[in-house]
Amino acid sequence: MVTTLTRRHFGKLAAASALACPAVVQAQPAWPTKPVRILISFPPGGSSDFVARAITPALSEHFGQQFIVDNRPGAGGTVAGDILRREQPDGYTFLLSNNAPFTIAPTMFKKIPYNVVKDFTHVCYLGATYGGLVAHANVGVKTAAELIAKAKANPGQLSFGSSGVGSIGHITGNTFCRAAGIDILHVPYRGAGPLRIDLTAGIIGLQFEGIVTSVPQIAAGELFGLGVTSDKRLPAVPNIPTFREMGYDVSVKNWHGISAPANLPPAIAEKMSAALADICTRQAITDQFAKIGNYYDPMTSAEFSAFVADQIEVWRPMIIAAGAAGQ
Amino acid sequence: MDLLGNLAIGFSVAASATNLGFCLLGVFVGTLIGVLPGIGPVATMAMLLPATFHVAPVSALIMLAGIYYGAQYGGSTTAILARVPGEASSLVTALDGYKMALKGRAGAALAIAAIGSFFAGTVSTLLVAMFGPALSKVALQFGPSDYFALMVLGLVAAIVLASGSLLKAVMMILVGILLGLVGTDPNSPLPRMSFDVPALAEGINFVCLAVGLFGLSEIIYNLEKEIVRPQAIPFRELMPNREEMKAATPAILRGSLIGSALGILPGSGALLASFSAYAIEKKISKTPERFGEGAIEGVAAPEAANNAGAQTSFIPLLTLGVPSNAVMAVMAGAMAIQGITPGPQVMVKHAELFWGMIASMWIGNLMLVILNLPLVGLWVKLLQVPYRLLYTSIILFCCIGVYSINSSVFDVYLTIAFGILGYVLIKLEFEPAPLLLGVILGPLMEENLRRAMLLSRGSLSVFWERPLSLGLLLTAAVLLMVVLLPSLRQARDTLKEE
Repeated sequence: MVTTLTRRHFGKLAAASALACPAVVQAQPAWPTKPVRILISFPPGGSSDFVARAITPALSEHFGQQFIVDNRPGAGGTVAGDILRREQPDGYTFLLSNNAPFTIAPTMFKKIPYNVVKDFTHVCYLGATYGGLVAHANVGVKTAAELIAKAKANPGQLSFGSSGVGSIGHITGNTFCRAAGIDILHVPYRGAGPLRIDLTAGIIGLQFEGIVTSVPQIAAGELFGLGVTSDKRLPAVPNIPTFREMGYDVSVKNWHGISAPANLPPAIAEKMSAALADICTRQAITDQFAKIGNYYDPMTSAEFSAFVADQIEVWRPMIIAAGAAGQ
Repeated sequence: MDLLGNLAIGFSVAASATNLGFCLLGVFVGTLIGVLPGIGPVATMAMLLPATFHVAPVSALIMLAGIYYGAQYGGSTTAILARVPGEASSLVTALDGYKMALKGRAGAALAIAAIGSFFAGTVSTLLVAMFGPALSKVALQFGPSDYFALMVLGLVAAIVLASGSLLKAVMMILVGILLGLVGTDPNSPLPRMSFDVPALAEGINFVCLAVGLFGLSEIIYNLEKEIVRPQAIPFRELMPNREEMKAATPAILRGSLIGSALGILPGSGALLASFSAYAIEKKISKTPERFGEGAIEGVAAPEAANNAGAQTSFIPLLTLGVPSNAVMAVMAGAMAIQGITPGPQVMVKHAELFWGMIASMWIGNLMLVILNLPLVGLWVKLLQVPYRLLYTSIILFCCIGVYSINSSVFDVYLTIAFGILGYVLIKLEFEPAPLLLGVILGPLMEENLRRAMLLSRGSLSVFWERPLSLGLLLTAAVLLMVVLLPSLRQARDTLKEE
């Protein structure tokens, strides 16, 4: 289901975005001649903050100008999105774009201050992190099959925690439950921190959050990794099967990219995406990315724009089914 | 033996010239931001995080930790001098500290705050070093129903805080809970009581409330009074006198222990610690009527408690890898950037880092006392500045601080509105402290109650099946009786007389 949707929308939107780009030719001034700001839609410490801080030193070195990280959290990332929309497309303000403001917010909130497709130039893709289903040892299941059997025998008796209503963990969990035809109760927390405390204590048995932070606990046998949301197995946890290979269509990307205000001069976009395409394949950067489980695949700017638009449609039914739409 | 060996490793790491420098830098920045209302340690640590990239992990963490507990010291300064709590945790200090300042004992209050904090820092450093790993289990014993019970106990204790009418205190707590519930519902994506104002969708900013209700309201209230300038105080009178030291010493000791215990719990440990310590001092005092009128125990105990709590709140992060509050989440981020996964293995794999940080906390506390005691004279001199200048600059700094949290002008207006509300409350003899505790504890209580109910599938039995929940709720009930009985008896006596 997810694959077909992806491919269909992908082609259609790629074509649309190619048509929408007018071929304006104009003399390009030298860029960058002053420091460049990269907005982050979350406070420091999260995965998009980490990705931004991994690439900015390399960007500063490449362009010979400082690239500064500016955290502007709030309202599910829409605060940062709105700031970017109001900025000039002069190549001095970018956003570390991600799921929250650009994929989830358009469905989750009744009204957002921007149009994800029209108000921005989506410059390049920086990779994605993937979630994983982990179970505390006291749940008594070591595989997804055992969990499904247990959930079917005790409908509504198991619970999974997420870092909040409309969070990726919430939507992934709900999608998995529907795919597997099981009934597991969702318990929202305020952020991943409090959830980890209850998961460590075994008060909540299951979660679908980012898998990399759980690796030490999986190694220690306190948690069991039951499945990952990537299409291929993750190098950080090669023993955990993907949901795909187990026959459940749960493929969820927590993507990261670079976006600018609409009508960014193509010359700047090209310079930026060429630089990042090189940076993101350097060993030093992929090593950094691996620490938080961010995996990069090359994507052109046109493909990335189509991807951003497509993700909204892919996620919409999942968000609505999880009951997280319409704020 | 092991402990001594470990501490020796720790001190050898923490006492290196580089790490001493980072520690000093951290506590100095922390003191500054503590003094400024609004700009909190979370924002500062977050801003300085990138600067730590190219530093050794242990130096980075020592500096960031210094900012955090340094802010606990600094926060009490404005609370005492101007009734503006620089940090949420110094809210309680404002109650008696400011009254002491009005009586010309600002120096003593500031000095006892610094001394109390240092003593508490020493006690909690030792506790972390000796029992850290064992204490970490405590944080894991608390489930949602236990937190709910703890919050109930906290709110009952908040009634004790009030020095005036009990009924008014209860009313203030309830209003506080209502204000705290503004914002998005925790279990659905729907906003509550936000009147479609986007700025309210994430709730009322606590700093706006605290600065408005405490600081601005006091300035407005002072405008209508005849201004009495405090006399210049000779330096020896700046320090606490013998009676004050005698009263403060046991309070500091109790505050340190309470703070160390509550700091381990995730959530608002440090704040709960400071006001529990205050409530206990008032309850066991032979002269409870002095509280709220400038009792030195009312400054010593909460200051000791919030500093002890700040330090023990590192335990869950360092031993379990679980951040217990926003500050610890930033610390966890800093560790991740340095390639250290927070968790039980830190103590083994990075023993130098673990013990180095613990040792640095004690060194940092020593630096803070050396830094802060000479400053006491300077701070007190600030009160000599003419009010027309002092008040306008306080208002200016409050506005900058409040604005800087979310870059939101709405928050500034909100602060002014709360300032006016605070003035009305002063005129009607309502106290703002219980209201603020309602604002903090109310949403936590709701969140944990609803989570407990979700997990138990709606069965209330969790509250008596879990010994911790039952114990806390029974304690709350007993405390409520103890608080209410004297006033009930009084009311009955009054009726009889009539």
